[in-house]
Amino acid sequence: MKPEIAAQLEGYQDMLQLAQAAEILGEDFRTEKGAVATYLERLHPARLSLRVSRIRTETPSTKTFRMVPVDGVLPPFQAGQYVSLHVEIDGIRTNRPLSIASPPTQSGYYDLTVKRVPGGLVSNYLLDNLQAGDRLVSSGPDGCFVYNPLLHGNRLVFIAGGSGITPFMSMIRETCDRGLDRQITLIYGNRSEDDVIYHAALTGLAEAHPNFTYVPVIEKPGPGYTGETGFMTGELMERVTGDLSGAMVYLCGPSAMYDFCLGELQARQVLARRIRREMFGPPVHVSQCPGWPADISEDQSFAVSIVGGPVVTARAGTPLLTTFEQAGLAPPSQCRSGECSLCRTRVLKGRVFQPAGVPLRQSDREQGYVHCCVSYPLEDLEVLIEAKG
Amino acid sequence: MEHYDAVVIGAGNAGLTAGAALAQGDAKVLVLERHNIPGGCATSFCRGRFEFEVALHQLSGVGTPEKPGPLRMTLDQLGVMDQLDFMPMSDLYHVIIPGKLDILLEPDRARATATLQRHFPAEADNIEAFIDLVYKVFGEVIGAFYFKDPEVHPDKYPLYFQYGLKPLQAVLDQHFRDPLLKTALTPYWTYMGLPPSRLSFIDMAAMLFAYIEFLPYHLKGGSQALSNALASRIVACGGKVRYSCPVEKILVENGRVAGVRTADGETIQTGQVVSNASKIATYIDMLEPDQVPEAVWGEMKRTSIGPSAFTLYLGLDQPPEALGISSSTNFILGHTDADAVYDQMKNLEIDHRDGMMMTCYTLIDPGFSPPGTSQVALITLKFGDAWLQVPPAQYAAEKYRLADAMLQKAEEVFPGLRDHIEEMEIATPITHMRYLDTPRGAIYGFEKHIKDSPVFLPNRAHIDGLFLAGGWAGPNGFQPTLEAGFKTGRAVLRRLGK
Repeated sequence: MKPEIAAQLEGYQDMLQLAQAAEILGEDFRTEKGAVATYLERLHPARLSLRVSRIRTETPSTKTFRMVPVDGVLPPFQAGQYVSLHVEIDGIRTNRPLSIASPPTQSGYYDLTVKRVPGGLVSNYLLDNLQAGDRLVSSGPDGCFVYNPLLHGNRLVFIAGGSGITPFMSMIRETCDRGLDRQITLIYGNRSEDDVIYHAALTGLAEAHPNFTYVPVIEKPGPGYTGETGFMTGELMERVTGDLSGAMVYLCGPSAMYDFCLGELQARQVLARRIRREMFGPPVHVSQCPGWPADISEDQSFAVSIVGGPVVTARAGTPLLTTFEQAGLAPPSQCRSGECSLCRTRVLKGRVFQPAGVPLRQSDREQGYVHCCVSYPLEDLEVLIEAKG
Repeated sequence: MEHYDAVVIGAGNAGLTAGAALAQGDAKVLVLERHNIPGGCATSFCRGRFEFEVALHQLSGVGTPEKPGPLRMTLDQLGVMDQLDFMPMSDLYHVIIPGKLDILLEPDRARATATLQRHFPAEADNIEAFIDLVYKVFGEVIGAFYFKDPEVHPDKYPLYFQYGLKPLQAVLDQHFRDPLLKTALTPYWTYMGLPPSRLSFIDMAAMLFAYIEFLPYHLKGGSQALSNALASRIVACGGKVRYSCPVEKILVENGRVAGVRTADGETIQTGQVVSNASKIATYIDMLEPDQVPEAVWGEMKRTSIGPSAFTLYLGLDQPPEALGISSSTNFILGHTDADAVYDQMKNLEIDHRDGMMMTCYTLIDPGFSPPGTSQVALITLKFGDAWLQVPPAQYAAEKYRLADAMLQKAEEVFPGLRDHIEEMEIATPITHMRYLDTPRGAIYGFEKHIKDSPVFLPNRAHIDGLFLAGGWAGPNGFQPTLEAGFKTGRAVLRRLGK
């Protein structure tokens, strides 16, 4: 509309005057330069620069790396959250999510506890090579495995297996340090007594804090052991915590533990909204997951053709993300459990296996998008990687 | 070095339709998105067994195949309609002031009018006159602007020239006495973020007209389905979309766009850039001050940054009917003073002064959450400023504290809601700032005060080869931004001679 026509709108002059006044009196947004990035850097930094300040051996197979910021301060986090530690090993760039074991009240460092995985690329590298003074980059803290004060109440049952203890350690320390009104029972399963991480610390906390009960459970104990043994059954849970119906149950551990413990909880009518479960990486043996085709072995290999890139050989039992990393073509990733969605990749041709319960957007599923950290090739594939790695 | 005919910064609604228009017009186009998924606001996320819609409440302008609305026609021209499953909503909205007002309107002119007249019999004629005015004024707007009349003149469009710059409040006061009636007719002001005293009557008329005539819609798979379909269309037409790839700088040589540089240092050559990023980020962060004409600073000084929002996404382990939720779109208010609600949007606290909206998607599409469950979003508009003052160490605690206040408000209307929450995610203005990269987490862009209308502030390009599209450069909301991107994409095609 021409200005002389627009000027015939009723109230035009008044509004024009308002606009002209604002042009003189309004805010100069040039002061906003960099403001969004600067603010987010304090709360949700994409990357952290960390230095190993001290290493503590927890068990024969486990160490805790105390990480301090190289410069600046560490962002706050909620007990139960993780950071994803970036490493480059023999030219392969990858990362591993590690729950922060130190409490959120400690803002000077993050304790990251690593347990050796037989044949594991990253755990062996970190345990055998990392020295005090070494520098690493990680993601900012993230994750949904946290206490919700509006919903979870004050009777908490923590069920941990092996290195799944780490998020609980942060939650327990926070509760004890701050004297929070939460009644916590930790049921902590391990194969042998040697595998129990933080045993002395947990025993000490339980002695000092009547609202924290520590129940180690050893699957195959040595002679002289007098504690709980076998599996973490519903019967055991009820015996050490009382009625489960009013409690909030948190699970963190290997997939076999989930399969067993979730069944036990369901049998006792514990509602889905009273159970929180941490994503714990891809299954160790994907072929044991329900739905894996019987005629395909984990060692079978397929050709994966990447649009605009090479054709790579992919092992059926290896997550596609790992295959892409080995080829130097990986999209960004973080949780390696299908939860954060960063490694979203489009499969144009061919079938992949995705274990049950891995979250995926409905419209992503319809268009062939997968979270490649928990997707496995079942035949030759053509994939489109659109995210900048 | 890579070269493209056009580069689109940001895969929000307008970025995606611009990209799709360019790709199907045979331009070599690259869309760069900082997040790992397309959509901007038009996205979803998963928690447990639920998928949550982030931003779409009611899609306007769709219409039916027999009587298509402008958005349906745009999406049809972009070749994505066959990928989308639109579901009409049976409610226009349900507006509630506990104990005082409880009205459910249907998206039908006659029935909505009759319902209002039943509740306010003393003002039956006034209601008829107001709705009639909405239709007549908007009819003139369609004739003048949608059909691009080259000779817009007061003699031809007398109502437009009379009402075009009138505040909504003035028109309400001219028609009605009962403040409850004024409230019952105008809860949609929250879709634009400005109360009736500051919002143009035309903007409200446009919303009422678009929702009643073309019905409010939801999409199967939520707004992410639309974003995915558009992104997929760009790729199918030979374009490229790159995710997790923020743009750091727009490169300008001799006063015209020469390319962009990504955050990881890659330079991409292009003569045409469509920025779907905020106008502030585009001019202030992505360009150097000496590259920006003085006029831009004056233009931006005229406007102010609009609100962000505080949202609770809830996955409930009961079906909607078991929780007493019977309508999909609910505006839950505490009083009739919209100016007081607007003032309260600057406050961190959430209490009886706030207005709140609750959308239950499961009522529109039972498949949107698992059988026997429901998915609900509670939202109240909040300016980001107060949240920026929360110390980072206090942030999580404040989030929970205010989510609690929000649940208390919702439970006044839906008691027992809290006892059935299986998944909860809380989004604050900081969350929106993180995912949208907008100053102060603004979700609607600049405020759309009457003085900021295109009459006074047209969306002009100030640098040769730079186009702005989206809620910061024009009207906000799904339909307007989707259409704006499409028009911008076609404008770039004309520049390219395609």
